[in-house]
Amino acid sequence: MAQRLRTTSALAVVVMLLVGACGSSTTPSPSVSAAPTAAPTAAASASAEPSVAPSAPPAAAVPAVPTGYTELDQALGADKPFSGKTVSIQTQWIGGEGINFAASVADFAAATGIKVQIDSIGSSHETVLKTRIEGGKPPDLAMLAQPTPVLAYAAAGKVFDVAKFMDAKKLSDEHPATIGLVTQGANIWGIPYKADVKSTVWYPMKAFEAKGYKVPTTWDELIALSDKIVADGSNPWCVSAGGPGDATGWQLTDWVEEVVLKTKGLDYYNDWISHKVTFEDQGIKDAFNLVGKILFTPNYVFGGNTAIVASDMKTVMDPMFTDDLANPKCWMQKIPTWYGPDFFPDQRVSGQPSKYVLGTDVGIFPFPTIDPAQKNVEGSADTLMVLVDRPEVRAVAQFLATPEGIQNWIRAGSAISANSTTPADWYAGAYKLQVAADIANSAAGIGFDASDLMPGKVGAGTFWTESDKWALAGGTNTDAVLKAIDDSWPAQ
Amino acid sequence: MAVARAESPGLSRFVLPIAGLIGLGLCVGGLLVLLDPDGGANLLASIYEALGNISGATDLRNGSGDQVIAKILLAAIALAVGVGGIWLLFLGVGGLVSLLQPKWRDRILPWVFAGPALVLLAVFLVYPAAGTIYRSFTDNHGQFTLANFAVMVEPEFTQILRNNAIWLIVGTGGSVLLGLIFAGLFDRVRREALAKTLVFLPLAISLVGASVIWGFVYAWQPAGQPQIGLLNAIVVGLGGEPIPWLTTSPINVFCEIVIMIWLQTGFAMVVFSAAIKGVSGEIIEAARLDGASERQLFLRVIVPMIRGSIITVATTIAIVTLKIFDIVYVTTGGRFNDDVVANRMFHEIFQFFDDGRGAALATLLFIAVLPVMYINLRNFKRQQAEG
Repeated sequence: MAQRLRTTSALAVVVMLLVGACGSSTTPSPSVSAAPTAAPTAAASASAEPSVAPSAPPAAAVPAVPTGYTELDQALGADKPFSGKTVSIQTQWIGGEGINFAASVADFAAATGIKVQIDSIGSSHETVLKTRIEGGKPPDLAMLAQPTPVLAYAAAGKVFDVAKFMDAKKLSDEHPATIGLVTQGANIWGIPYKADVKSTVWYPMKAFEAKGYKVPTTWDELIALSDKIVADGSNPWCVSAGGPGDATGWQLTDWVEEVVLKTKGLDYYNDWISHKVTFEDQGIKDAFNLVGKILFTPNYVFGGNTAIVASDMKTVMDPMFTDDLANPKCWMQKIPTWYGPDFFPDQRVSGQPSKYVLGTDVGIFPFPTIDPAQKNVEGSADTLMVLVDRPEVRAVAQFLATPEGIQNWIRAGSAISANSTTPADWYAGAYKLQVAADIANSAAGIGFDASDLMPGKVGAGTFWTESDKWALAGGTNTDAVLKAIDDSWPAQ
Repeated sequence: MAVARAESPGLSRFVLPIAGLIGLGLCVGGLLVLLDPDGGANLLASIYEALGNISGATDLRNGSGDQVIAKILLAAIALAVGVGGIWLLFLGVGGLVSLLQPKWRDRILPWVFAGPALVLLAVFLVYPAAGTIYRSFTDNHGQFTLANFAVMVEPEFTQILRNNAIWLIVGTGGSVLLGLIFAGLFDRVRREALAKTLVFLPLAISLVGASVIWGFVYAWQPAGQPQIGLLNAIVVGLGGEPIPWLTTSPINVFCEIVIMIWLQTGFAMVVFSAAIKGVSGEIIEAARLDGASERQLFLRVIVPMIRGSIITVATTIAIVTLKIFDIVYVTTGGRFNDDVVANRMFHEIFQFFDDGRGAALATLLFIAVLPVMYINLRNFKRQQAEG
């Protein structure tokens, strides 16, 4: 645990993911661009149109050979050696996310003849995965949102070290922010796939303009704006702890993590993850109190603190859309970049593209700075595990390590690659991704979701439940809650 | 067999082994199809080819085409292999044993018939149970520890045990009581079948489905918003403030138990109703002649006479409530002081990766169910003795 590189401090990681590198550096040998697959640059120009659904048939999202990976090169070879072979991959993505992931591998499957069987499990993904792995019949590949279980499976000998068949240096160089989370010594237990920025606040843009509200950039401005909205007779915030049901609580942990990053900095944040800094430490307590200032000040949260735990993350922002966003009943929601129009009330119900446009109707602003010296943001990433070692499985894993492995999801305007060599212009025209890039660009450092790195008993257990109790009690039991979380930290 | 032997002893000597071998061959072939992930599709493709439908066969081999038919075919093969295989096994081993001397045959034959069931019981029940108990005494490194049981006295777990006790008492008591009342009342109404059907209907709904349905009944919206939840719509309609039923402890535990009672009352009622119909009319008439009121008749005569049914139903529902998981998992995840043993066991194993702690909870649940099982078995034996 100690040598785990959790964050790359002072290195604006997603900057590299989003705006840093240029596409041509990923194609080492331009001489083979005559290959039947499209070069990334060609694909990028096709996706540069601002439309969400590409109108002209875009170039296939497949990397150019040579890719730098042996099996991937073989798979993309003219004789398609793996054609007809099946590779199964289990993911948590259903609905819009499931469709986007399927689109991400479709071109590759067509180009190589490999049948990619996607088991989209949804909310019981982790349970099904553990059963399949321990039952000895794992899927060939699996995605996990948290690095902690990846390392647990690695310790149990269930995961293949990708460094055995992939260039470790290339992998590390291309995933500088996230590879450390799943690296132990010379072993790399997974491939970071999709990155998210969590320090984002969603708001009704036109209504802000109509009322003359300005996007806050500091904590004081945020509080002043909240007070102004209350004075104008509305509630500034819609907050859901994440529920309903089993997952309730993770949103509250995101709030606390955000404030810790923005008040105490990365080193302190990392010590908190490893429990060198306890929850009862003054810095964490201060963070809870600052979060409580927003959650529990009367009239700040639509529905009050009861609504925080009783609201469903999927519907909590609905009051914002009152009278077609002209008359919001709540004005701001802090939720990561994976949120999107598929959660807006019209699209959620009809399944048809939302009439509310990101960037004109609904906007996103970076969570304001609290301590000007601590301009850190919070991020998270999904990791791909290799659970069965066959050549065609290697090829799929290697494909998903390339920027092209998520290109069609990026084209849908909805994903950020964890690969820093992803051409910046792929993100052009997608409002959400540009905001994410700007946030990362101005950040001094990126902190990975702390609860995802803490032991499961805390990170998916007491940190959630105790935060729920804290919200239910309106923040009056902070000391007891923090002590309960500390007490639950596993010995060893 | 006996008839065949009597008619032509020479022929049957060959027919039976050959038929057995063919059956065995079919079983092995069926197993091979079942073991192959694409077995159903490939087999159907071969059938299509034999019938001359080449394009259909190609589609199937490419993973498209009539996959549903392939799956139905697979299910049919599984059924045939399962049933036929067991039948062959009994026939074969039974035949072998019957060749032995009568003294040995009588001793071995019962084991031949009970054997497969005992093996299945050992593999799928005894072995996992022993493994679970063993695991409950180990930590994450496989070392011996008592810590998994020692933590059960901490408030975090005593609360869980308390909730399970509430489930046991209120859930079982409520279902039995309501079932008894409905059975007694419906015995006298004109449209008894219709009334009983309405109460029995929820039993056809799964626990998860019922939890989702009741989730809408208990749904909460902030005051001033339209209440989509039935209960809160009533509360607000009467001028009250909406109540967050499922997040407010301790009423959330009782709200969840209501779901269970809604489901199980029908089961209790049907069993009780049948038992009441079994009470002899002469006894009831005698009680009436002795001047018993209707209430006395029910409480003093009918209820004691259906005591066996009551114990059976109560123990059955008690076991369901002790093991309760689905309702808590779906409605709140047990995150609002309403956790129960089974749900916590699930979280320990699948979210906290603490198999030892989970196994300890499973062991605890197992021990808690034992007395209920004992009562049930004793009652069963007594009923048999009386009958």
